[in-house]
Amino acid sequence: MANVRQISVFVDNKPNQLAGVMKLLKESGINIRALSLADTKDFGILRIIVNDTDKAVETLKNALYAVTVTEILAISIPDSAGQLSRVLDILGSENVNLEYLYAFTGASDKAVSFVIRVDDNANASAALTKGGIIQLTENDIAEM
Amino acid sequence: MERYWNEEIECMPREEMKKLQDERLVAQVKHVYENVPYYRSLMDEKGVKPEDIKSTDDLHKLPFLTKADLRDAYPYGLLAKPLSDCVRIQSTSGTTGKRVVAFYTQHDIDLWEDCCARAITAAGGTNEDVCQVCYGYGLFTGGPGLNGGSHKVGCLTLPMSSGNTERQITFMRDLGATILCCTPSYAAYIGETLHDMGYTTDDIKLKAGIFGAEPWTEEMRRSIEKSLGIKAYDIYGLTETSGPGVSFECSEQTGMHINEDHFIPEIINPETGEVLPDGEVGELVFTSITKEAFPLLRYRTRDLCVLSRKKCSCGRTLIKMTKPMGRSDDMMIIRGVNVFPSQIETVLIEQGYSPNYLIEVDRVNNTDTLDISVEMNPDQLSDKVKDMQDQEKSLAIAIKTMLGINPKVHLVAPKSITRSEGKAVRVIDKRKLHD
Ligand SMILES: [Zn+2]
Repeated sequence: MANVRQISVFVDNKPNQLAGVMKLLKESGINIRALSLADTKDFGILRIIVNDTDKAVETLKNALYAVTVTEILAISIPDSAGQLSRVLDILGSENVNLEYLYAFTGASDKAVSFVIRVDDNANASAALTKGGIIQLTENDIAEM
Repeated sequence: MERYWNEEIECMPREEMKKLQDERLVAQVKHVYENVPYYRSLMDEKGVKPEDIKSTDDLHKLPFLTKADLRDAYPYGLLAKPLSDCVRIQSTSGTTGKRVVAFYTQHDIDLWEDCCARAITAAGGTNEDVCQVCYGYGLFTGGPGLNGGSHKVGCLTLPMSSGNTERQITFMRDLGATILCCTPSYAAYIGETLHDMGYTTDDIKLKAGIFGAEPWTEEMRRSIEKSLGIKAYDIYGLTETSGPGVSFECSEQTGMHINEDHFIPEIINPETGEVLPDGEVGELVFTSITKEAFPLLRYRTRDLCVLSRKKCSCGRTLIKMTKPMGRSDDMMIIRGVNVFPSQIETVLIEQGYSPNYLIEVDRVNNTDTLDISVEMNPDQLSDKVKDMQDQEKSLAIAIKTMLGINPKVHLVAPKSITRSEGKAVRVIDKRKLHD
């Protein structure tokens, strides 16, 4: 099991809301390793993986942001055609539901990293291991 | 053990109270007829003479006064005493049209403060208490009224006025305030700030709050009681009749006892003006029977409520009024349906949301639109957008069930809706801009 903690922050869909979160984290010396913003016309949910999850959560909560922490899987696959679809096939064959995924830049330019949010981490993780997919730990990501 | 400020009056047998009201009403009608030409001409038009009013049974014969009369008669038209006998004015916030200005003799001030003292005593206040008044001071009656009542009771009074919430909490803690007087929305904000500052109810000594001057719901009462660790009492009044203290709540918390030795209440059908029996919803009308300088007879408050003479467990015999269910000023007509902000507030609190919200009403292609911005509940944050959209939808359905019309609900970030330090602005009706 190599679950990674992802922080989600609720942001209003107004100018400068996102910048405010970024500035706050930067000032607290927190580095963002992976980021995705899912938004509607009312609000956005900013999802991030950082080098110091506990500190980031505390910083955001102190600034009165609504914050939640979810365990996700992070994988690293070769940057070549067909690799992502292989991952999706593995998950599909185990009946794991994929909620969302997003890519982030890893340490090497020959590999690409993905955050994978599924409904069953344990099952998905076992299937990925069996399929030979490299999973990243929170520590791996922090050290990128 | 229930405590009273004026047991003789507050627990007076009904027949005696009626006798007292009869005498005071007869004298008051004579005083007004002789000294207020504006009201004299209303009585003459209706063909009513002071001699026709022999007791409270004749009250219905008198003409009504409305807010429009107060504006017409501004500033001195309803004054019943020479200015040399007056010592104070208070005024309504009057955002539209002319302000309403009310005049007081020293005697009027004494009676008003006495009414507030009854309210503070009913909330458990004694000369051992520290009473923090964060109603606005100045023209608004809230601060001066409760301040005077607190002095009468002998509480150590903190005349904070509203605003600077962190300082409010510092004083509350340093001086051990036990009673808080302010608007309910400000009380909710003080509670929130207290917790945001990292304190709990163990860090303060408050035991009671006296909240009024704006509509609030039972759900809001429970949430304020929890966040401040107090018992919250309602108080009612309006500048036109004196200020807060026209009626006040006792420990039963099931309505406010009206100070009937000063104010005679009636409930009327707002359309026809016909007097309705106790127990029916209608517009509250007050007749001041002791005020000298600004004695309004049959003043239409525009507040909708119910009167009850049911025996109260506190021992008071004073008639009770329900919390106003709405004010004709607050009532919005959206797609032909009457909507009160308090209904929306009730749903929000039931569903676990903060009572800070903003209603925007507009008209698009000749159809009214209702948009409600609500602060999302941080405990309900999900990383999945769909979960959050489902929260918006289920809240919209709950509001539709309550109102019968479909709103659009918009979740916004916690603490992003402006907090109020006085009366909260909860409704923006953009249709008025088009008319
Ligand atoms: Zn009672």
